[in-house]
Amino acid sequence: MGDFIKHPFVDMPDRNPEQVIPNDQLVFTSEEKKQIQTWVSHYPTADGAVMRALWLAQEKFSFLPPEVIKLVAAEIGIPYANAYGVATFYTQYFKEKKGKHVLDVCTCFSCQLCGGYDMLHYIENKLGVHKGETTKDGLFTIQEAECLGACGSAPMLQITNGPFVHNLNKDKVDALLDALREGKVPAFTSVTLPQDEDEMGGNRRTDVSSVESYIVPPISETVS
Amino acid sequence: MDDKKTKAGDWRSYQRVLLPPVKDLHKLDVYEKHEGYKALREVLTTDKWNPTSVTNEVKKSGLKGRGGAGFPTGLKWSFMPPVDPNIPRFLCCNGDESEPGTFKDRQLMEYNPHLVFEGMLIASYAMSIKTGYLYIRGEFADWITLMEEELEKAYAKGYVGKNIMGSGYSCDIVIHKGAGAYICGEESSLMSSLEGQRAYPRVKPPFPAQKGIWGYPTTINNVETLACAPLIINKGGEWFSKIGAPSHPGPVLYGISGHVNRPGVFEYPTGMLITDLINEVAGGMRGGKKLKALIPGGSSTPILRADMIEGVTMDADSLREAGSMMGTSGMLIMDEDVDIVSWLRRITHFYHHESCGQCTPCREGTGWLENIVTRLDEGQGQLRDLDILLDLCTQMEGRTVCALADAAAWPVRYTIDRFRSEFEAKCSTETVPSGGVLETA
Repeated sequence: MGDFIKHPFVDMPDRNPEQVIPNDQLVFTSEEKKQIQTWVSHYPTADGAVMRALWLAQEKFSFLPPEVIKLVAAEIGIPYANAYGVATFYTQYFKEKKGKHVLDVCTCFSCQLCGGYDMLHYIENKLGVHKGETTKDGLFTIQEAECLGACGSAPMLQITNGPFVHNLNKDKVDALLDALREGKVPAFTSVTLPQDEDEMGGNRRTDVSSVESYIVPPISETVS
Repeated sequence: MDDKKTKAGDWRSYQRVLLPPVKDLHKLDVYEKHEGYKALREVLTTDKWNPTSVTNEVKKSGLKGRGGAGFPTGLKWSFMPPVDPNIPRFLCCNGDESEPGTFKDRQLMEYNPHLVFEGMLIASYAMSIKTGYLYIRGEFADWITLMEEELEKAYAKGYVGKNIMGSGYSCDIVIHKGAGAYICGEESSLMSSLEGQRAYPRVKPPFPAQKGIWGYPTTINNVETLACAPLIINKGGEWFSKIGAPSHPGPVLYGISGHVNRPGVFEYPTGMLITDLINEVAGGMRGGKKLKALIPGGSSTPILRADMIEGVTMDADSLREAGSMMGTSGMLIMDEDVDIVSWLRRITHFYHHESCGQCTPCREGTGWLENIVTRLDEGQGQLRDLDILLDLCTQMEGRTVCALADAAAWPVRYTIDRFRSEFEAKCSTETVPSGGVLETA
């Protein structure tokens, strides 16, 4: 069984850290501003757009230090405290610098029963860091994630809030890490419904290149 | 038992309706060829339908929410106050799907997104709503992109937006991207999240129909629930009410995960025998092992031992009698090798992590549940820890704003209740002298 954190209280980020992103880079382009204003128009008050705007800022700056949250708050015209409250509430917003690829390995109960912890520990050993840490070359951060909603294709992981990698095993992890080192992020993978396999002979989407199917979790990799 | 006599009827020849076997159904032109937006056209352009008759048809169908609580959908729609042109009204489609063990909505949104949009539009029409928000959890980033592409096509064709199909009715759909919080699946915290606040749940009453997002009347339905609406309009509420169990009718997406030979999302009627689902649909237990226990509908539904499922069917009544709940119909199947204490420890860790921290019984209680179950799992627990856990569950249940505390307490309560010997076997044999101080791990 995995080594749980005994007291997993999340450390709040330092409230007044030194500014990381210089002022001259701390601007939105006019397209980004337009995009944010489109989102603002979708809601009765500007507050509703804060989550989308924070997502955009995170994609642009790779994480959300206070100066970026301030920028977002100013752009949509809400108090900084509101934007800060939202940014610190949700787990997918990164409050500190992470590796280039963040590997969120799901270990919630379906994945736990199908070897999620084996996969997490395998990746930890392979990269030589613990969960929550970043490798020295700044390429990978490993995190333990709560249920990512792909229980049938467990164990699985998500790469930097993006594509899912289903039905993990050691070979797949090796290939994935090599591909990521070369800068190749896997494409969107469609998981075939078992009934589609029976009735349609495979995946129903003809426009996806990467297809997975639900497979039996291997017994040898199962921890309980 | 003879198939014809089960509530699900002759399920082996069941024809799928939520995810019919059509190649590329997610594309708008293919969807149009297969009765796509036909129900919406009928509702908007024929005299047969008005908002009340749509709601009544849904009531007649007996559709119950597929998001966990199983509240009758037509009844929920009828809770909306009378239309006041000065007060906006909103629809929220809940695609947050973060209950562990549930993964059906993701596949529905991937393979049949227009059915979800059409369902949202029909529901909006039935309640005279002009804006519908589709809240999708942030982890489903790829699916959000796919849905947005399809939504744009629907806008271009005039199925969504101003003056839909020349009927004079206008409705917008906005896709809202979450950012990873289990609590957002709870309807009142979903509203807080949409408003751009921290996703704290709110006290009910006032219910969303009276005071929802930004204080305006709001109805919140699950993705799968709304996807049933076009089917009900096309084929009639009576047709729908005859599928599966009479008290809980309709097609359901069963998400089966865990130690089975054929995990996955399956569409079948409600009222399927659990034994049929495991042995026939999901291909039986992996490696010929024995079934030990299962979760019928996501992590917060009480666990069922293998000896408790004989003749139990997947509908609200039968599962209630068996001592569990329908939940989200995301089933987790566990074989004989599973260590129930370790498994429970992972669940308590999940709830501790996901507690929003607003109410003390939940914020502190989930932490203590995790600490004590962890101590038991490490072999350092005492027998009396089991009673402390049950007492803690009583202190948590029903004492918080939302149901997360209950959802965290139930797995602990029922797992101890149904697998007590396993917990006792893991307890430390050292006894604590009377009046002594219990040392914590």
